[in-house]
Amino acid sequence: MRNHALWRLVRQVVNVIAATCAAMAVLFVCAAGFWGVPALGRALDPGNGAWTSAVGGRLPASRTLRLPGIVGGATVSFGSHGIAAVNAANEGDAIVALGYLHASFRLAEMDLARRLAEGRLAQLVGSSAVRSDEFELRLGLLRTAQREWAEMPKDGIEARLLESYSIGVNDYLGQLRKNRQWPAIFSLAGVYPADWTPVDSLAVQGELTQELDYTTTPLDYTLLARSLGMTRTMRWFPVLPVNKQNPYDPGPYHPRRLAPLTTTMTTTVSRRPAREIRGTTVAAGLPSVPPAGVAQAAAAMLAQTRALPPGQIHGYPDSNAWAANGPKVSGGGSMLAGDPHLPQTLPSIWFEVAISAPGFYVSGVGVPGLPGVLIGRNRHIAWSLTDTQNQATLFYAERTSKAHPGQYFWRGKWRAMRQVNYTISVRGGAARHLTVNLTVHGPVMTRAGQTVSVDWMGNVPSPDVAVLQQISVAHNFSQFRAALASWRAPAQNFVYADNRGNIGAISAGYYPIVAGGTPWLPMPGTGTDDVVGVIPYTAVPQSYDPPGHVIATANQRPVTAAYPYYIGTTANFFDPGYRASREYAFLDRRSNLTMSGFAALQNNLVDGLAVRLLPSIDKLLRGSAVPTRGGDSPVPPAVWTPMDKQALALLRGWNYSMDPHSAAASIWWALWTDYVYTTFEPWWRSARVPVSLDRTGLAPSTGQASLVEVLERWTLTDQANPAFSPPGNPPGTAASVLRAAFATAVAQLHGKLGGGPSSWTWGKLHSRKFPSLLRAPGLGYGPQAAGGDPWSVDAADGLPVSEAGPSWRMIVQPGTAGHSPPTGWGIYPGGQSENPASPWYENLVADWWNGRYLPMPSAGPAVVRGNVLWELEP
Amino acid sequence: MTKHVSRSEFERLGKRGSYRLGALSLQGVARPSAPRPFRPSFSRTTHGGPIWAWIAASIVGVGLIGATALAGLWFAPLVVGVIGGIAARWGQWRLRVMVPAIVMVSAFGWGAALLDQAARGLPIGATARAIAAIGGLPAFAAVGVAVTLGVAVLLGLVGLWLGRALTPWPPS
Repeated sequence: MRNHALWRLVRQVVNVIAATCAAMAVLFVCAAGFWGVPALGRALDPGNGAWTSAVGGRLPASRTLRLPGIVGGATVSFGSHGIAAVNAANEGDAIVALGYLHASFRLAEMDLARRLAEGRLAQLVGSSAVRSDEFELRLGLLRTAQREWAEMPKDGIEARLLESYSIGVNDYLGQLRKNRQWPAIFSLAGVYPADWTPVDSLAVQGELTQELDYTTTPLDYTLLARSLGMTRTMRWFPVLPVNKQNPYDPGPYHPRRLAPLTTTMTTTVSRRPAREIRGTTVAAGLPSVPPAGVAQAAAAMLAQTRALPPGQIHGYPDSNAWAANGPKVSGGGSMLAGDPHLPQTLPSIWFEVAISAPGFYVSGVGVPGLPGVLIGRNRHIAWSLTDTQNQATLFYAERTSKAHPGQYFWRGKWRAMRQVNYTISVRGGAARHLTVNLTVHGPVMTRAGQTVSVDWMGNVPSPDVAVLQQISVAHNFSQFRAALASWRAPAQNFVYADNRGNIGAISAGYYPIVAGGTPWLPMPGTGTDDVVGVIPYTAVPQSYDPPGHVIATANQRPVTAAYPYYIGTTANFFDPGYRASREYAFLDRRSNLTMSGFAALQNNLVDGLAVRLLPSIDKLLRGSAVPTRGGDSPVPPAVWTPMDKQALALLRGWNYSMDPHSAAASIWWALWTDYVYTTFEPWWRSARVPVSLDRTGLAPSTGQASLVEVLERWTLTDQANPAFSPPGNPPGTAASVLRAAFATAVAQLHGKLGGGPSSWTWGKLHSRKFPSLLRAPGLGYGPQAAGGDPWSVDAADGLPVSEAGPSWRMIVQPGTAGHSPPTGWGIYPGGQSENPASPWYENLVADWWNGRYLPMPSAGPAVVRGNVLWELEP
Repeated sequence: MTKHVSRSEFERLGKRGSYRLGALSLQGVARPSAPRPFRPSFSRTTHGGPIWAWIAASIVGVGLIGATALAGLWFAPLVVGVIGGIAARWGQWRLRVMVPAIVMVSAFGWGAALLDQAARGLPIGATARAIAAIGGLPAFAAVGVAVTLGVAVLLGLVGLWLGRALTPWPPS
């Protein structure tokens, strides 16, 4: 009996302890989270957790808001699609309202962008982002942003814009801290955004610059040269293109003295005075192959970039912008179209808005996190951008020694590396510490095998916000051009049209020129190959009212081979020029174009390479006399299977359009892909190119502009090139490789899609999708069958599923001064709200997908009846 | 169950190779089972009151959890669970009754808070889908709702356990 009582007591005690422990554990996890598991109680509380984000899923209602940052008053009017128009009593209030507006609809996107740039992503998403944070802190977007802000005159326009914008964002953050209606990601993670600062905006600017301007091409060149040999590497990845590229600035060019590379926000101080060099400094002859240590360092740095979130390193140069005037445009005047191609996500990178205040009016798209409009129009001019694609990333192999720890050798002396220490907070894990070493060239990116630093133009302070503001108030080309003189990075082709019927383009930005001759490879860091200046602004590619009445930029090399300065190699992501060719062909042949004509071109799916090459390919496939290497005996006619014949017939009857319903498009794409692969893959295999280190930059694929260009050239004019006879294979020609590729393509298509050739439609092979910015499955759009390929104006890249593309399509008629007002149409895939529960989350996708446009909003005191109106008062 | 034993089996008794009597049970001839010793039970056969009282208490619990959730007191299901546990101990109510009761009260409590917001025009279904997707779960509204209600239920059950464990047995 006594035992029974004792046992019962023990059981009770154990039960009490166990229940208390379980309750405390559950309470702890629900209150604070544990090792990556969010604080479930707080996060999922229906009253205060992630569920409160439902409030942001409702459409906004008309209301009056009192914002501490507003001085004179402002209104925000929303059209039925959610496009906003800000009208304010002064420019400062307009920018405060813009900050408030961006934060209201894109707070999570803004916070993610600044975290990414400042190396604080792991604090929100956990250990998976540590490598990204390490990379960004090494590269130095945060350091650059801090320097920019520190050096910026606080009474200048840029500082005032950045501060006004921050006030607007913080007004909204203040409201959220009271009502707890945070976007779901913050409630679920239990990590909430800090106040917005001007440095955050500058960091977002840096992140955009990185996305457009940071390249790893010299690292790829290193690995290619180490495996293929320097001769083949430079023959297959030449500095200058071997095909026709339709540069928009055909010359003549006038070499001028280099301009100094200004490394401060002010335009008068320079750390690196320019040398008395006129023109290019590219070395004649073949450079030597980089040593093994540099290759090891290159591999390590490529591994760093692989750890970045998608889209952080520029990959697909598919943007378009063109302008026409005079007889090309219906009614005279000018017209401009632009479609920047960027990663397409939900929400979009863009936020469409019109902003007006006395003396200030602009309508277009901007980036949440930045004050102003990047692409758009005002009452006098319109502009759009494409990436210039010049080389802005230079790598230096620093000389170090065990006898001089923490030092590097530069210009005859051992010098101490400057060190910067960072602590990376990790959600659900221990904080990491990172020490970044800095040389005179820039941050040391790796010490694996060889100490390598990077001199990247994105780390040069660039007053982009001030430039965009000046563009917004420009009335004519001289003001537009003068504003862009201060633009340093990322180098962009700014295409222009105005209401006096003028058109123009300037590839503004820094083009670094080095003293040595091989900037496309890692260079010695001892001082012999340093940057000695930049191309002077008067000599950067530009054009104004060309005689043909057309300017088109499609990421092609903007100048001819006669241009006297080095701006990058064919492997530096310059587009092969096929899209530019289509644009010039379309615009040159037509006159009296209207908005619908421009829209037709923007949505055009014709493959420019196919137009150029397919007739010759057809001849080669049919077995007409093709000289072989070392003789002129023809290649014997091929033996075709019935399926081959059907496929060939489809190709011959094709209109070159990469339409999703076209079977010939599939056959062409498969043929070209196999042709590139069959030609180069044996060489790659034989040379053991380490493709896995960077598939985009190293694999022999259609994504390699250089290989596409040389193969186009050989197919048209050099069909017996030795490249068609790889080691271990019998001697070949373009015809024999093409036939093998064709047979492979048909077999692959049959194997993959079954049925006959007429059923192999392009939409079965190619689709588009817009993933969620958070990479949350189910919150994206698609994939859906889609048309286009990298060489159609409506370009699609990253096949078979494209996640980058026309992120914004815009057409503007600036009107005629004193006669007709400017009009603009635009569309981007997505919606104004980042909240997946909002009707404005993806409401613009259908219009974008079907090639439709919406009128760009006009800002002003007049408010359209029925629109939702926010009245912002002090 | 007993098997049928044929007459010939009995006729073999006492002969060489025959079965022992005791082995008959092996052939399926059942013995009568031994009577169970009497063990008195002190549990009540009723569940502590009329049904309307249970319903009323549940409604109060749901209302309490729902209202406090809207006020940000996410731990209310645990508190209600503790109260339920104390009551269960004092009332000597069985777990098979209390567990479903607490599960329902907790889930309905947070569910009521969600319904309240849906009734006010908030897109709760779409938000549930977003929560599930951001949380790395299948992007279905039902998943988001189920996970949320699951947390409430977990809190309620832990509270029930704690309440029962901490409460001494009532004097018999």
